[in-house]
Amino acid sequence: MDVQLRSVLLFLAYKLTRLGLLLAAVAVLTFALLSFSPVDPVQAYVGADMLQISPAQRDLIAQRWGLDQPMLLRFGNWLGQMVQGNWGTSMVFNQPVVQVIQQRFELSLPLLAIAWLLSGFLGVGLGVLAAAFQGTWVDRGIRLYAYTLASSPPFWVALLLLIAFSVELGLTPICCAAPPGALAEEVTFWQRLHHLLLPAFTLTFIGVANITLHTRQKLIDVLHSNYVLFARAQGESLAGILWYHGLRNILLPALTLQFASFGELFGGSVLVEQVFAYPGLGQATVQAALRSDVPLLVGIVFFSALFVYAGNTLADLSYQIVDPRIRLGGRIG
Amino acid sequence: MASSLKVTVWSVGLFLLSQMWAGCAQNAAERTAFDPKLAGSSDQIVLAIGGEREEGFDPTLGWGRYGSPLFQSTLLRRDENLEIVNDLATGYTVSQDGLTWTVTLRKDAVFSDGKPVTAADVAYTFNQAARSGGLVDLTALKEAVAIDTHTVELRLQKPQSTFVNRLITLGIVPQHAHGPDYARKPIGSGPYRLVQWDEGQQLIVEANPLYYGQTPGIRRLVFLFLEEDAAFAAARAGQVHVVSVPQSLAKQTVEGMKLHAIPSVDNRGLMFPFPPKTGATTPKGYPIGNDVTSDLAIRKAVNFAIDRQALVDGVLEGYGSPAYGPVSGLPWEEPTAKIEDNNPDLARQILAEGGWSDKDGDGVVEKNGLRAEFTVLYPANDSIRQALALAVAEMLRPVGIRVNVEGKSWDDITPLMHSNVVLFGWGSHDPTEVYNLYHSKAAQGGFFNAGYYANPFVDRMLDLAMEAPSEAEAIPFWRAAQWDGKQGFTAKGDAAWAWLVNLDHTYFVHECLDIGQPQVQPHGHGWPITANITRWKWTCN
Repeated sequence: MDVQLRSVLLFLAYKLTRLGLLLAAVAVLTFALLSFSPVDPVQAYVGADMLQISPAQRDLIAQRWGLDQPMLLRFGNWLGQMVQGNWGTSMVFNQPVVQVIQQRFELSLPLLAIAWLLSGFLGVGLGVLAAAFQGTWVDRGIRLYAYTLASSPPFWVALLLLIAFSVELGLTPICCAAPPGALAEEVTFWQRLHHLLLPAFTLTFIGVANITLHTRQKLIDVLHSNYVLFARAQGESLAGILWYHGLRNILLPALTLQFASFGELFGGSVLVEQVFAYPGLGQATVQAALRSDVPLLVGIVFFSALFVYAGNTLADLSYQIVDPRIRLGGRIG
Repeated sequence: MASSLKVTVWSVGLFLLSQMWAGCAQNAAERTAFDPKLAGSSDQIVLAIGGEREEGFDPTLGWGRYGSPLFQSTLLRRDENLEIVNDLATGYTVSQDGLTWTVTLRKDAVFSDGKPVTAADVAYTFNQAARSGGLVDLTALKEAVAIDTHTVELRLQKPQSTFVNRLITLGIVPQHAHGPDYARKPIGSGPYRLVQWDEGQQLIVEANPLYYGQTPGIRRLVFLFLEEDAAFAAARAGQVHVVSVPQSLAKQTVEGMKLHAIPSVDNRGLMFPFPPKTGATTPKGYPIGNDVTSDLAIRKAVNFAIDRQALVDGVLEGYGSPAYGPVSGLPWEEPTAKIEDNNPDLARQILAEGGWSDKDGDGVVEKNGLRAEFTVLYPANDSIRQALALAVAEMLRPVGIRVNVEGKSWDDITPLMHSNVVLFGWGSHDPTEVYNLYHSKAAQGGFFNAGYYANPFVDRMLDLAMEAPSEAEAIPFWRAAQWDGKQGFTAKGDAAWAWLVNLDHTYFVHECLDIGQPQVQPHGHGWPITANITRWKWTCN
């Protein structure tokens, strides 16, 4: 028991140290990159009002956001506040960064969750189908779909779907997370889901391709192994082989892939939210970058690093649950 | 074995398909059930005119500079002819030295929380806006002081006739309810009050029952914040009643909607670097000057050779007007500054008199070995400016001036804009812009007077206009700076710019909606249409 507790604590300490190092690296890198950015945040803020704002007022604006200080000093100030739990104030939204991220993530979370679950199940399902019927029209159809989707840019797929389903067929809404004119308390769960549907499906369609192709390849390797040949020789059915040998062997890589896709999902949502005018975290990221809103951008980068890291840690943990060999190894170690 | 699995695949596929169709049918039903609620009436209209301010609705940070501030009201405002009329103020006087503006307030105005609007609130608003580092430039203000409950004194650092524009654009906020949250929970004395703001999506406002002015004709407004294409699609689907569209879409028709092409001073023009290239640089080290455009004959020839009406018809699809100066249609425009353009012969004559001739027969004129050739820069993402630049290049070829057109990002244009011709766009209801475009002191290496234009006469006129005690008294000086019969910065004088066109701002408006007589709109297509929104009316039942 003691040994187990110690190994869990060690695992946690290891993970936390790595997380700390990761976040530190991410912060330094973001600030370094932004200090090379050609975007002048004051100019981005003033926009088309350039001739209404005198140089004196520009200085005042720069002072308000601390933009008159060198990047190194700004990084120091930011770090000092961050340690105290203050993520700073977004220039674009004139609101604490934590609040911006929270509001936006609440809208993005269901989108990401639906897309993540659907693409996981669909991806593995299609991959298994394709591998089981390798070389048949089923396989070729699925591969065609997967290669096409894997090689098309997400925003383009999103636009096509928007044109087809929202503009031409009128089945899904054109934009936003709720119907226009509706008060927040009037919006029903179904209306929210309706507005979520097309962006979530778009993310799913795109995410499926990768998982399908990986699953298919892995399963084909398994099906060509000696133990499957042996099972076949013993008269095991295809369904039996898939269930007893295939799925068990592809489960670990599938899980790794699924949790590792947190990052891709996050990146995909930036583009998809932009196309569907869905006001989630992705849209906020675009605005923060375009207008050189350093506190918000660093905040979002931090948050997404946490998000992706959590995904990978979950994958690590799930191995222990799924695979008795790893559990056993842990105990002995 | 294999065949039975195939059947399963099929059945699964069919099942999924049928599920999809069922879902679709349901959605379609929901949509049609939803539409009537969005039908326009005097109770509610839906607008897609852009203009979301992510910062929120705090006037001290710059909300409400264009169009109506909705939630707040201003001391003064401009009517449809851009004349200045009272709003919250009952009048104002300016001291002899132009340093003290005394404003008296109406006594019946209350904020939407029921508390009265007092001079203390006005003083607080001005002082706060001057401090807060937003988009309200009050650097001329020394301090604002409440003299009594309904009189406020605005004390300036130096006389500034254009200060009246701050009284026109700055919405008054309540001192007792103004804090960091205010931008998202605005309280004011304006015609509407905030119901709900879904950031990135929509803004819902309702008529403010405590508003002192005329009750708005439309009770509830829903502003959708959509991209251009999505907004147009929504209009075609009948879901919005006012939509701003780019000129390129204005030729289309939308069932049940009428096109309104509203004149604007949203202008486009070529800025010429004025001094020759001497190796001088801006404080940031960017080169100043251009040997070709520093020649008056070149700048004048360009101005006379261009066919502005053809640009309006060809590039703007007819939705625009020729521009001969930066202030078309505004009260301080000098009408005699207009020229007869589309005159290549005159342009050739000007060039010849200026010593430019085509000696080597390559179609481009030279003077002392210098070819009449320059580059026009435009922001690469702006298709209208690209078309304008290319068309101008074509129009100048026959007179012997070679124009190279290059699209770049603003970040790339900035270092080049003091030594190359740039296709800029400006346009404001505040004549401060004229000062900033042409005063030699404004040229400090930024967008102000980027071409380093300098003429002592123009400087003097602009100074006199700024120092005049009121806008009315400043107007003669603003006009003289453009062209006083002998000199000025427009084409007949120094031709410091070649102004090309003013864009019409195009909107599709529901047939049943009467939007009254709109103002000549400033730079910025969309929100300015709300300037007279309280007088909009729904004319059908």
